[in-house]
Amino acid sequence: MPSSQTPPAGATAVDPTAVRPPIDDARIIRTSPEQLRAELTALKNDGFTMLLDVGGVDYLERTPRFDVVYHLLGGITTAQPERVRVLCGVDGPEPTLPTVSDLWPSANWAEREVFDLFGIRFAGHPDLRRIQMPDEWVGHPLRKDYPLRGPALERTPRPSFALKSNVAAGTPAFGKTAAALQRQIVAARSHVPNGDDSVAAAHSGSDPGAAPTAGDASTTELAAEKNAARGGQLPKDGAK
Amino acid sequence: MSLTDTPMPLSMDVVERSDNRMVLSMGPQHPSTHGVLQVITEIEGETVVRAEPEIGYLHTGIEKSAENLFWTQASTVVERMDYLSPLSNAMAYVLGVEKLLGVTDLVPQRAQQLRILLCELSRIASHCVWLGTGGIDLGAISGFFYCFDLRERILDLNEFSGGARMHPNYLRIGGLRDDIPEGFLEKLDELIAMYYPRMRELRALLQKNPILQDRMIDVGILSAEDAIAWGVTGPSLRAAGVAYDVRKAFPYSGYEQLDFDIPTRTEGDAYARFLVRLDEMDESMSIIEQIRENLAGGPVMAADTKFAPPPKETIAVSMEALIHHFKYVSESFRVPPGDVYSPVEGPRGETGYYLVSNGDNRPWRVRTRPASLYNLQVLKKIAVGEFIADMVVMIGSLDPVFGEVDR
Repeated sequence: MPSSQTPPAGATAVDPTAVRPPIDDARIIRTSPEQLRAELTALKNDGFTMLLDVGGVDYLERTPRFDVVYHLLGGITTAQPERVRVLCGVDGPEPTLPTVSDLWPSANWAEREVFDLFGIRFAGHPDLRRIQMPDEWVGHPLRKDYPLRGPALERTPRPSFALKSNVAAGTPAFGKTAAALQRQIVAARSHVPNGDDSVAAAHSGSDPGAAPTAGDASTTELAAEKNAARGGQLPKDGAK
Repeated sequence: MSLTDTPMPLSMDVVERSDNRMVLSMGPQHPSTHGVLQVITEIEGETVVRAEPEIGYLHTGIEKSAENLFWTQASTVVERMDYLSPLSNAMAYVLGVEKLLGVTDLVPQRAQQLRILLCELSRIASHCVWLGTGGIDLGAISGFFYCFDLRERILDLNEFSGGARMHPNYLRIGGLRDDIPEGFLEKLDELIAMYYPRMRELRALLQKNPILQDRMIDVGILSAEDAIAWGVTGPSLRAAGVAYDVRKAFPYSGYEQLDFDIPTRTEGDAYARFLVRLDEMDESMSIIEQIRENLAGGPVMAADTKFAPPPKETIAVSMEALIHHFKYVSESFRVPPGDVYSPVEGPRGETGYYLVSNGDNRPWRVRTRPASLYNLQVLKKIAVGEFIADMVVMIGSLDPVFGEVDR
């Protein structure tokens, strides 16, 4: 039985918006970052006076990777309002779209949220700061390559005595950190420091004095791997 | 460079200026912010020159959590967003998933009616909290007890039907989890009988109260143009004279068969929002009475076990039912790829869910259109030129819920 903590199986290379069943929820317009401003300005002049929402979607393996979705409502004072959904694909290492917060002030916070949680910038936005996450946060949580429980940056190396415990780590680790931890735990349980055979042979007898040294050594290794993980795996954020 | 162009400092420091202006931070730990809202205000004397709400103190990543749950499990977490009216969130979510599955027509009529009934009950309960706490903000503490008494009776009904006072997770994809228990309708009749006298009392106590009128009339005026431009929906929009209501404009779940009005006002001030909400509670009760009279019989869950659990009593006697139940619980079901926007009228305005499925048994994306976020954002606009003491009136009259603002 899959646990509720396992991530969704496989990313989506297909575009769900292209194969959607015929649902009559809104008129759908797909546009490009270059055409976005012109498209939305035309819609606004066409009577779509309310921008209900701006949201992001991360398709991870699709090109372009992100969709920014604008939900518009027109004819709001009439008995038959009308909905339009504008989808705009955006890609690149620093995905950027023009802001529409000058057309609709409601876009101000919405775009800040998309920036905060997806890392999509909005050129010309008057106040593009993080809105939900703390200002000093690194990474954009709603991206699909951002782990569910966070990057566990706050983890300190486990003290050597903890390696003897048969209780697994408190905070779940991920990636290289998880692998290093797993190796540590296995090594500690079998009294084989660092999984190194030669050392294992030297300490093959039950020598209790060897364990703290072994623990320290593998802790250092863990710290090194964690640094590598910080540099290598986490999305860099140049916003701050 | 004018002072209003300078970036707003984000600390509690009172900035000394030569022209009597100062920066005052209100909240996030302030009882009248109805949650954890910080409003950084620049004031000149007692007049607000600029106000910048800072949100995010209650951000819990519900959208991220929902992406990592099954379609059947995500309805549990989305109820936590607007925690004063959890059922309207669940309603928007399950309607969206049903649209993606293409099974909207398979939901039995009784389930649809009961969904409306419960949503309208939770609208009244939500407005009770707004009315009670809004009164407390202005020093009128008696109304609070009457409001919370009424709300408690609605929560009792929630508990009676769904098993939990606040987050029953009673609305499921395909219908309801269970039929309403025996005796529910009698309890509902008791509630209906006590509702109107209680509202008369509340109106006598609060609506005609000269102190409350003094505090609310002509405070925080929001024009129709501004409301539309800032994406304000719900009672705050209708108090500005725009009769937009999702239940009328885009009827769902059978609202088109019900007879109800959309209360509107044109003044756009805090008192207009107050009156619109009071009238809305009466309209909701009228909807509840209509459903009470015309409640259909029959099942409350669709019969198709591809997306609906089999009836509990069949599990012990039918192998297929056991298998379906096991599959439903252990791996949910797959939803065809596609995206949908599913809006409902929550107590605070249009609550919409933009759902994306990649064909998996978990949602690829669950984006909420939080009504409170947009309603609160307009505080920047309406607070300017008002007294700092009226800030609590304006926040209260916009009725934000921070579970939904921050998610």
